[in-house]
Amino acid sequence: MAIRAVSHDERSAFGLLAGLVAVLMAVTAFPILYSLWISLFAVNLRRPLRMPFVGLDNYIAVLSSPAFWESAGRTALFSAMAVAAVLVIATLVAVLLDQEFPGRRVLSACLLIPWAIPSVANGLMWKWIYDANYGALNGLLLQLGFINSAMIWLGDANRTLPLIANAFIWKEVPLAAILLLVTLKSIPSDLYAAAAVDGAPAFRRFVAITLPALRPGFLLVALYEAMMAIRHFDLFFLLTEGGPGGASDVVAWRIYVETFRNLSFGTGAAMSYILALATLLMSYALIRSMAEKL
Amino acid sequence: MARIRFQSVTKRYANGATAVAGLDLDIADQEFLVLLGPSGCGKSTTLNMIAGLEEISEGVLLFDDQIVNNVPAHKRDVAMVFQSYALYPHMTVFENIAFGLRMRRVGEADLRMRVMQAADKLEITHLLERRPSQLSGGQRQRVALGRAMVREPAVFLMDEPLSNLDASLRISMRAQIRHLHTQMRSTFVYVTHDQAEALTLADRIVVMKDGTIQQIGTPDEIYESPTNVFVASFLGSPTINLLEGALERENGAACFKRGTLTIPLPALQGGARNIVLGLRPEDVGTPGDGPQLHGVVDTAMPSGADQFLGVLVDDAMLFLRVGKDVRVRAGEAISFGLNPERLHVFDRETGRSLRGAA
Ligand SMILES: Nc1ncnc2c1ncn2[C@@H]1O[C@H](COP(=O)(O)OP(=O)(O)OP(=O)(O)O)[C@@H](O)[C@H]1O
Ligand SMILES: [Mg+2]
Repeated sequence: MAIRAVSHDERSAFGLLAGLVAVLMAVTAFPILYSLWISLFAVNLRRPLRMPFVGLDNYIAVLSSPAFWESAGRTALFSAMAVAAVLVIATLVAVLLDQEFPGRRVLSACLLIPWAIPSVANGLMWKWIYDANYGALNGLLLQLGFINSAMIWLGDANRTLPLIANAFIWKEVPLAAILLLVTLKSIPSDLYAAAAVDGAPAFRRFVAITLPALRPGFLLVALYEAMMAIRHFDLFFLLTEGGPGGASDVVAWRIYVETFRNLSFGTGAAMSYILALATLLMSYALIRSMAEKL
Repeated sequence: MARIRFQSVTKRYANGATAVAGLDLDIADQEFLVLLGPSGCGKSTTLNMIAGLEEISEGVLLFDDQIVNNVPAHKRDVAMVFQSYALYPHMTVFENIAFGLRMRRVGEADLRMRVMQAADKLEITHLLERRPSQLSGGQRQRVALGRAMVREPAVFLMDEPLSNLDASLRISMRAQIRHLHTQMRSTFVYVTHDQAEALTLADRIVVMKDGTIQQIGTPDEIYESPTNVFVASFLGSPTINLLEGALERENGAACFKRGTLTIPLPALQGGARNIVLGLRPEDVGTPGDGPQLHGVVDTAMPSGADQFLGVLVDDAMLFLRVGKDVRVRAGEAISFGLNPERLHVFDRETGRSLRGAA
């Protein structure tokens, strides 16, 4: 009796879950597997019926293209800048918010605003800030007298990546800061007291106690932000479209161009898989080192 | 070398709570002073003010003749053992002990020698490469002691350092701490709420309650002549028996009256009033010429060398300590002899001892 009742419950549970599983399969697993599938074919939308199997040719083509490696270099540079800056700024913000001062709660709440803004809205906002004619950045710097004439900020190939990284950092710092703040709050105050009595001034206490305690937080933030930065697309699409002259042509942007402008789905999918694999390897390495240190 | 003086020191926390009020205390150089009191009475706050970890709201704190109110913790020549031990979790035991020396720029060779010496004394040499998380409670405690020891500080502060240890370890560590004090020639200030610990360790004990000092004295003074009911009942185990009654004069001689009970209290001055009589459990003997106490045994609890008796006297239950040889059973009548000199007498309104006044 009891066994029958349980199996009946289980069956209805599976029945209820089946719908959900089917939807999940359709919207996640299917695209993932389908894109893997088409990365093995030479797809050309202009000749949709002719779709020859090419094996790993797409991957070989991508990996042997110097332009792809240039993009990969830009992605690496962008990610390195972004992750490093997020780590430093988020640490400063977290340490600041860990202090007791009037208005701390209000400030903590305000800090979350950039994080709450949708990515596209953030991109449009920075597009206006960097705008050569009406931009707030030009306005501010002109009024303060730092520049004499309006600058075409995103038009300078040397500035493009740092400026996009800046917009990315602005949005990413809040979450990272909150994560680090939680870690800071978990440090027992006795440790600081002990170090003070041991003769350590404030800065030495920070180095001896705060930094090592933040280590797992740093690794977590670095991992998360690196994954976000490597795959980031929105800002490149909204601010520069890979320009000027390819200066912001990162892998994520290249995948878009290859797939939706050149309509070369096979190589686009192959590139996606290469990027995903690279992200996976990097994450694995970071998680490994994290597990060792903890 | 440090004599520590509190002059009308008050500590108010940001939330308005007064943790210590008008503290006056003079701690002699190389003294072993114990701050004793119930939870929340301001012991840690007092210790933290000496360490420079808490600001002083009012009053003056002096080390020798120097006012140190505004000297930050890291510039005071003070070492401290925390109740939580507060070992640095990311450092090895060696680095934990060496940290204070590194902060004071002690040379590497000297540093290594001092750490090894301390580790040797505390028998933790085999643990030097471990992290605090890999140690037992007793081992952590010794590392915390070692960290304070190597500094050879003028002032050595300990905040309930033994409270996380099991009973037997606690007793052997007491001896080690006492030994440390004779070796180090520092001023020791030790916080505890364990009266037995205070009585074994202290040169002098400061009994605190609600942020004020109740009594300062040697362990004997505090135990033998408590200045008020609070001090009398805080020390001693089992606690002192307190009997409420009246002080009356019969033919000019003072005596304690309660129901059918009359106990003469010679040498006590002053007029009639309500009093509280204090009788320590061990202050009873075999009936002799002196005053006696008659009662009925309620319970008899053997306790190793002694036994504790619950005795119903009049309508009051007294706990008394007697030798194993006294053979009694519940329900039996029993008599004790009292030594009037060892009875404590307190004013019932103020709680103050009437002996001290005499
Ligand atoms: N940071 C603080 N803010 C506000 N009040 C505090 C703070 N620290 C302690 N107090 C209060 O001050 C009083 C004394 O605290 P303290 O820590 O000195 O007690 P203690 O005697 O060490 O007690 P325990 O034996 O429990 O450690 C308590 O009433 C406590 O609630
Ligand atoms: Mg305390």
